Amino acid sequence: MRHRSPTRELALDATTIVVIFLLLVPILWVFVASVRPETDITGGGLIPTRFTFEHYAAILAKKPFLIALKNSLIVGLAVAVVTTALAMPAAYALSRFSFGGRNFFALLILGTQMLPSLAVLVPLVVIIRQIGLTNTLTALIFTHLALGMPIAVWMLKGYIDAIPKELEEAALIDGCGRLGAMWRIVVPLIRPAIIAVGTFAFVLSWGEYLMALALISKSDVKTLPLALQGLFDPYSFSWGQVMAGGTIIALPAILLFLIFRRQLVGGLLAGGVKG
Amino acid sequence: MAMTLQTTRRPATARPRRRQILPDRLLPYGMIGPAVFVAFAIAIIPLCYALWLSLQDWYMLRRPTPVWGGLVNYRTLLSDTALWASFGRTWIWTIGTVVVEVALALPIALLLNRESAVARTASAVILLPWVTPFIVLGFGWRFLLDSGVGPIHALLHALGLAGDSSILNDPVGAFAMIIFISGWKGTPFLVIAILAALKSIPDELYEAAEVDGAGPVQRFVHVTLPEIWNTIVTVGLVLGILAFYSFDLPWIMTKGGPQDATTLVGIAMYKAVFLDLRPAYAAAISVVMLVLLFIASLITLRLRRRH
Repeated sequence: MRHRSPTRELALDATTIVVIFLLLVPILWVFVASVRPETDITGGGLIPTRFTFEHYAAILAKKPFLIALKNSLIVGLAVAVVTTALAMPAAYALSRFSFGGRNFFALLILGTQMLPSLAVLVPLVVIIRQIGLTNTLTALIFTHLALGMPIAVWMLKGYIDAIPKELEEAALIDGCGRLGAMWRIVVPLIRPAIIAVGTFAFVLSWGEYLMALALISKSDVKTLPLALQGLFDPYSFSWGQVMAGGTIIALPAILLFLIFRRQLVGGLLAGGVKG
Repeated sequence: MAMTLQTTRRPATARPRRRQILPDRLLPYGMIGPAVFVAFAIAIIPLCYALWLSLQDWYMLRRPTPVWGGLVNYRTLLSDTALWASFGRTWIWTIGTVVVEVALALPIALLLNRESAVARTASAVILLPWVTPFIVLGFGWRFLLDSGVGPIHALLHALGLAGDSSILNDPVGAFAMIIFISGWKGTPFLVIAILAALKSIPDELYEAAEVDGAGPVQRFVHVTLPEIWNTIVTVGLVLGILAFYSFDLPWIMTKGGPQDATTLVGIAMYKAVFLDLRPAYAAAISVVMLVLLFIASLITLRLRRRH
């Protein structure tokens, strides 16, 4: 951009800080409330008087919440691993081979990303009920694959496109098979991107609400978003605990996203979006 | 991508491997197969199944197994005034969400389109509402708007926008508030998209405009806006589709209430399956949603400018 006077830049920086702060206040408030004593929260004052971890201790002592934490970890990790395992070969095939139907398949995979979960909720719920998989983590893992897989394929394809083909050709001459060349040459070179897409799939699954709500009703298979809802008992609940639970769900998503921001923003812009 | 390994001739030094010609041709299908299978199983098959399901007569309380019903669900749907009200509400919601997103994102993107450290950091942390799950934001905002403990409720109360009880208990107020929150959540993505478009505008365009004596406002209207217009329309369309299919936020915050004020089609559809136990009717709703959205998308895409 063009040059501007330093005072003007300073004024714009100050404005930026204020605007961003206002925009993020609702999220900051969740964090702040999670470390304030309950009397502080119900007192309604803005300034925290004391800093406490009692809400975290309280919900981590609750069995349903711990079970949900475990379930969310299982589902998220499985989704991350399966998404990457499906996306890597698909991206490689799209990048390196020309074959009949290639564009159709590419469009099909990308199109999945544009389809909101709600559009396929009813048929999926009926199908999953008919094959007897309601209230199983398997059903959740399967439906969650749709969340990140298209972006994963798209991102990885971009990274593979950037690797010179000559590197694999050399490996092929040395007697590597095609899959061996992918595994030994391409995979190590794009490892950061592979980790990024796996992380992304994990984060999307970790916070997913609609499919979990529709498919899960038994407490031993509930995931974190449903457990957070469960903390909200209409007769007696603690705002501090609900906000602590919210922080536990939000924090991994936020941290992992910030770490892998560079890889993910490009992929998101290229491949459509899902919140 | 025109050149691929497949078409490259194998170097003469490689051992002749005629046996592998057929496997080599099948290999790409084998590699892409699993991903395509998932796409089919999660998108294509459910969509086709929804169409078939929408033609069944299946009211689980009376009839535990579906029988062919022809257009019975669509006939019911036509006379379901509550459903059409929720369709109308969903359009207001969708357009409102996108308007909030554009109104917030455009000035923020212009503000962040600088090289300072503050602007760079800001364009990273601004993503937080986008990456924070709906369940957390929904409860966070319920907390902020709670009449007992919520600071934003106190603010709205002081401004006269909310009475003694939370704005979420007022039909109009709750609808407006949740539309705003929905737009707020989607804003970061649009900011990032507009920023990318802004950064790709060549400086020469501005210099030429300046030579022609254009002021800041004229430069914005005649240079910046045309250059970022297609980005706004395209990303706005994607965000609009997401808003049209909203469920999480209004369900978490108000369960569609008060008095159906926040019952979007998605919520009506969810209730049709899980409360009324009429999956076939819900499938018909989802088919109508798809058709309406398809038409709206075509209209929106016509707003794009050809360069």
